[in-house]
Amino acid sequence: MAFTPKTAPFSGKINAVTLGTGDKATVIGGQNVMPFYTFDAPIENAPKIGVEISDAANEWDAPALREFYAGCTTMADYAKKAETMPGADFLCLHFESADPNGANRSVADCVADAKAVAEATSMPIVVMGCKNIEKDGELFSKIAEALQGKNILVLSARSEDYKTVGASVALAYGQKVGAETADDINLAKQLNIMLKGLSINPENIVMNIGTAAVGYGFEYVASTLDRVRLAALQQSDADLQMPIMAPVSTDTWTVKESSATEEDEPAWGSREERAIEMEVSTAAANLVGGADAVIMRHPAAVATVKKFISELM
Amino acid sequence: MALKGLDIFKLSPKKNCKECGSPTCMAFCMKVAQGAVSIDKCPYFSDDAKAMLNEQTAPPMKTIAFGEHKLGGETVLYRHEKTLVNKNLFAVSVSTAMSAEEVDRKLSEMQKVDYERIGERMYVESVFVSNTQSDPAVYAALAQKAAATGRDVILECWDAECAKAAIAAVGKTVILDGATPDTWEAMNAIAKDTGAVLGVWAENLSDLYDTVKKLEAAGNKNLVLDVTGKTAKETLANAVLVRRTALKDGDRSFGYPSIVNLTKLASGDDRLQTAYATMFTEKYGSIIVMESMTYAQALPLYGLRQNIFTDPQKPMKVESKIYPLNGADENSPCALTVDFALTYFLVSGELERSNQPVNLIITDASGMSVLTAWAAGKFSSSTVKKTFQDLDIENKIKNRTLIIPGKVAVMKGEISEKLPGWNVVVGPTEAVQLPKYMKDKEYEAAAKAAAAEAAAKAAANPVEEVKELSFDELLATKVPEIKVVDMGVSYKGHNPDSQTFVTIGERIHCIAPVIRKAMDERDPEPILKRAAEQIKAGATYLDVNIGPAEKDGPERMMWAVKLLQENFNNVPLALDTANKKAIEAGIKVYNRTNGKPIVNSADAGSRISNIDLAAANDAICIALCSADGIAKDNEERMKHCHNMLERGMSLGMEATDLWFDPLFLVVKGMQDKQMEVLEAIKLFSNEGLKSTGGLSNNSNGAPKAVRPIMDSALVAMAMMQGLTSAIVNPNDLRLMETIKSCDIFKNHVLYSDSYLDL
Repeated sequence: MAFTPKTAPFSGKINAVTLGTGDKATVIGGQNVMPFYTFDAPIENAPKIGVEISDAANEWDAPALREFYAGCTTMADYAKKAETMPGADFLCLHFESADPNGANRSVADCVADAKAVAEATSMPIVVMGCKNIEKDGELFSKIAEALQGKNILVLSARSEDYKTVGASVALAYGQKVGAETADDINLAKQLNIMLKGLSINPENIVMNIGTAAVGYGFEYVASTLDRVRLAALQQSDADLQMPIMAPVSTDTWTVKESSATEEDEPAWGSREERAIEMEVSTAAANLVGGADAVIMRHPAAVATVKKFISELM
Repeated sequence: MALKGLDIFKLSPKKNCKECGSPTCMAFCMKVAQGAVSIDKCPYFSDDAKAMLNEQTAPPMKTIAFGEHKLGGETVLYRHEKTLVNKNLFAVSVSTAMSAEEVDRKLSEMQKVDYERIGERMYVESVFVSNTQSDPAVYAALAQKAAATGRDVILECWDAECAKAAIAAVGKTVILDGATPDTWEAMNAIAKDTGAVLGVWAENLSDLYDTVKKLEAAGNKNLVLDVTGKTAKETLANAVLVRRTALKDGDRSFGYPSIVNLTKLASGDDRLQTAYATMFTEKYGSIIVMESMTYAQALPLYGLRQNIFTDPQKPMKVESKIYPLNGADENSPCALTVDFALTYFLVSGELERSNQPVNLIITDASGMSVLTAWAAGKFSSSTVKKTFQDLDIENKIKNRTLIIPGKVAVMKGEISEKLPGWNVVVGPTEAVQLPKYMKDKEYEAAAKAAAAEAAAKAAANPVEEVKELSFDELLATKVPEIKVVDMGVSYKGHNPDSQTFVTIGERIHCIAPVIRKAMDERDPEPILKRAAEQIKAGATYLDVNIGPAEKDGPERMMWAVKLLQENFNNVPLALDTANKKAIEAGIKVYNRTNGKPIVNSADAGSRISNIDLAAANDAICIALCSADGIAKDNEERMKHCHNMLERGMSLGMEATDLWFDPLFLVVKGMQDKQMEVLEAIKLFSNEGLKSTGGLSNNSNGAPKAVRPIMDSALVAMAMMQGLTSAIVNPNDLRLMETIKSCDIFKNHVLYSDSYLDL
């Protein structure tokens, strides 16, 4: 009795969403199988990697990371360099310094940076804010306006501000919008329904369903990814068929495994290597769980995850 | 053998004849499943049924013992469906192709990674020893070296003589990864002789499947499957298809644990191996073989593994101890919180961010979050005191400032009394506020104030003799006289023998600040108001929750019971507190005209002795079918149910005085478990048992307008299954009308056009 595997493509399908314009435009989603299950059905679009560029990047102190960006001072400098990083598919501009409880950079300065990046580079652009609802609302709207026609993605609209962010970013300026929730599949679905209720086309929505570094409650992320994907594919739930983007580096670089100095943890070895491995593992865990794109920081980690993806496709 | 009681029950005669000595067929089957009695005790089980049982109840995936670890035994593809049971193991590889120096270096490097994370030892559990030559002595020497590390050994070897020599040199049970379509017969003979677990590998899944079939036919089911392919892509496909074939299609010939060998997929690339190891931790690798395991690799991989293999129904706990943060010493202030791992990570993370030295004290709260633990009596001044004694904090720390979570500000007074000399300060309610709170040293002024307050108190009341008073003495001296007030409502009476659905009104609960305050101040008005509303709305029983009430529980409960019963025609009550003395006291003054008192509640774990309390006082007892966390399936629910049933009956209780609570689960989060809860109610009902529960928990977090609709739908489904009671908000008109309507359909109440008004 010979063994013939039962293959199982689903009738449900993840939406294919295009980011950016021109030659460098990139597509995420489009598949009708679980992540990397190419034995069930071919996967047209490989998962993508975005490179994080922060307006606080001057504070990054990992030696090889500094070396990679040596000589860069402005966000546009960083972005131009990031575009050359092997494995990069898009850029992620992270305006963490806009936080009113931190450096409180002005919206005008952030918009100027975003414009400079858009002029100096051609990769698709994703924008991340500072997590302050009010500031992000203004920032997102102004950047979406300034970069009209670039088909950027703004991360993210949350249940608190989806109306203002959704209306300005997606409706007024025709950009893509991210729907962010924290490990809550019911809220993830509800937020998509509400965004669609604003008459935003589902093909303009990407999800961030919650993130964590591995070891830090990643079981919630893993199970939410599993459940979101099974609902989208198995139950053909159109309100959860948006592709998923997972910001990885913002979580992995702050945990103890990456931040403890070699003096504090002599047994652990090189701090930069720890940070790289933490980023690699968290990115891989997200991709295998169901993320269609990850946002990463270190060139070595990006190279490894790129190889990982291409070996599996 | 993992025979399931519920599966056995399906084939049982279901006569409940008691001839086997068990009260019900279900109880008997549960015992058979646990191996406590032989199935032959039942004279009515047919031989056919017994044979079918063996056939049907074999698990889809074998559990294979390897050293002190277990591999496989999984029943689901995704952790949210139930739980993953056996974590994957890691192995580091050595080979006869390596120089002796290289082997020594690798083995010694491997042993450096050995640490603890949230109560689990993190280390490389096994060494993977590859043979590339034909001299048995050479391979045996390498195997012996690997075994000398104390780790378990996997032998990758296709040469029979080498394999025999190596197994002899290791001297304990190994995995012999050596069976292929060509070698299986010889290797099977060695495995049988030595008790080794046999690893099977083939070029493709079809050959692998055929080889397993041959080994099974030869009587060997102690196998692991080496699913390593030529590429990572092929290996993932193999791992997924093997697992899916076993668990989804029920083909047990692929129901074995797997080995994935990353040294063949990413040789020389540590980081890529980390990425692959991450993938196979999530997707179906049982043993993951790597070239090395550095700290940089171990920290993410073991962290991930610990997350993925956490039981979704059981919270992750951290150890109860003092965690000195930011270089804290005995002179640094203390902050207190519970042992729920996420709480710990949040709080310790924010405290670290503050850069202020602080001793974080983690107290045992059964892995619950702050408020949940407080409400369940698992986080109280007594448990805090116990932690302080167990950890000897009095002597270890000189500073006397103790910051408690803002969410349990109410505990401040009680903790101050239990920990004399400590200045208890209420911290922020959210962890994110901690860095600012610590940096601004807000606690210093508060600690001074607390110290001054304590001094003033001590001056005003010189040490008072504490004498335990009897209930009668308490009643005479500490319970205020009850005044009967006309609230315009009278309780309509209840016949304990009636079959109608029993609603237990939940609105008198200390989690509501207005009730908490009223209980503290013995202020009758807010309590009577809520009681009147519920009685008017048709509640059968009223629940009386007086909070953890550690200090004055007995007099509190006596007052509350008398207050409610004297005002409302002896309305029957459920007495709800973690303080047993308080329940006893309440029963002492309880009037049984309209039904026995209900003890709310016992469980099959630390609160099982509340059954004894109910039995001794001829009370009804709500019995939660859980022990440590929510039961993971109905097998476990029914096991708890029968443990409690037997305990109660052995103490002379009527079976119907135990009201079993399956624990209703919240739809937002546990949607896929709802039908299982309903199934449990059916199982109770099949045995003639009564049931109850906090039904409206299902709609927690749903919009206000939606909740009554969800609750009503669920109560109708649950009553169909045989639910006999529920703890509800009687002010929910839709729910109460649904219950009344269901009682009509169940023929418990004779229909009349006005049935809703009755």
